[in-house]
Amino acid sequence: MTLSGYEALFFWIFALAAIFAGLLTVMARNAVHSALFLISSLVSVAALFVLSGAEFIAGVQILVYVGGVMVLFLFVIMLVNVGAEEKGSEEIFNNQRQVTASLIFCLLLVGGVLYAVSQGFPALQAKNKTDPLAAAAEQVARDRSLAKGATGTSRITADTEHIGNNLYRYASLPFEIASVLLLVAIIGSVMLARTLRQEVSADDVDPETLQEEIALDPELAKLEPRSE
Amino acid sequence: MLNFFIPILAFLFQQEGQGRFTRTWEAAAHPDLSKFLVIGALLFIIGVAGVLTRRNIIVIFMSIELILNAANLNFIAFSRYLQETGNVNAVAGQIFAVFVIVVAAAEAAIGLGIVIALYRNKETIWVDEIDLLKW
Repeated sequence: MTLSGYEALFFWIFALAAIFAGLLTVMARNAVHSALFLISSLVSVAALFVLSGAEFIAGVQILVYVGGVMVLFLFVIMLVNVGAEEKGSEEIFNNQRQVTASLIFCLLLVGGVLYAVSQGFPALQAKNKTDPLAAAAEQVARDRSLAKGATGTSRITADTEHIGNNLYRYASLPFEIASVLLLVAIIGSVMLARTLRQEVSADDVDPETLQEEIALDPELAKLEPRSE
Repeated sequence: MLNFFIPILAFLFQQEGQGRFTRTWEAAAHPDLSKFLVIGALLFIIGVAGVLTRRNIIVIFMSIELILNAANLNFIAFSRYLQETGNVNAVAGQIFAVFVIVVAAAEAAIGLGIVIALYRNKETIWVDEIDLLKW
């Protein structure tokens, strides 16, 4: 894969945007700002997906991450917002020693990963004997050969069709398991986020604990189904 | 130590060959698989740093999303690379990315449910104050 022309320009723009937005996600003082920076990082990475020819994954990324997960994050932030963070009265990072140790670890990890890529990639290139410019020309020719859209200015890729075919042909069992996983996640999060009142009215509290809680809050006795 | 760093610098700035500037320009004008891998690695490291240093449990969750997204970027880049060079099933990387997104969504739902339950009981979202399991 070798990008060229405008694709290369947009690659650098979106790559830098993704990295800076990621950095600001980690460093922002306000959690809502972190969430918004994470959204821009995810959108930039979706643009990188489009550049590498994975249009379907880019769409899924924007629909699921930005439209679903990040909205959930924003709701939870607003439910549990403590306010001390924005006012500056609370430290946002762990204490000094832990931060230093983890940053040293991260620097070592950066060095290691860059070393691995710098050693491994030239060998991969030598094995596949690809000339970057020839590969770029080949890619442009391949894009030109795609069918034109209705307006004649854009091209239609077969990416989504390939993913659909391969998903059901080679990964149908994992696909079903993933749906069960999502069902379990829905039930689990509903169970976890119930309040004590909801648990009492569903008759789902240990009787001894219930007696202790009723002693603190007599209102709870009225909610219990058995008392009626 | 020098043996470790010189290949990295030579790789990043492409020093060998005809003229340092033209080589660097050539490499920047034609980003290939290695550039995608470097971007993915940097996003991953930023996520790891966020998990290790932040105190707010919600920001830690967001950093985990960043890590999973960096892994997705690598999957997609390799999928595209194999589409051109290998004769293996090149769409496998994209299918794996779909499953990573599914697991990330499930993890976010459960994790945020736990955060809400925790906030109701302990009135805090600072991870250094949540030490029930510490002996």
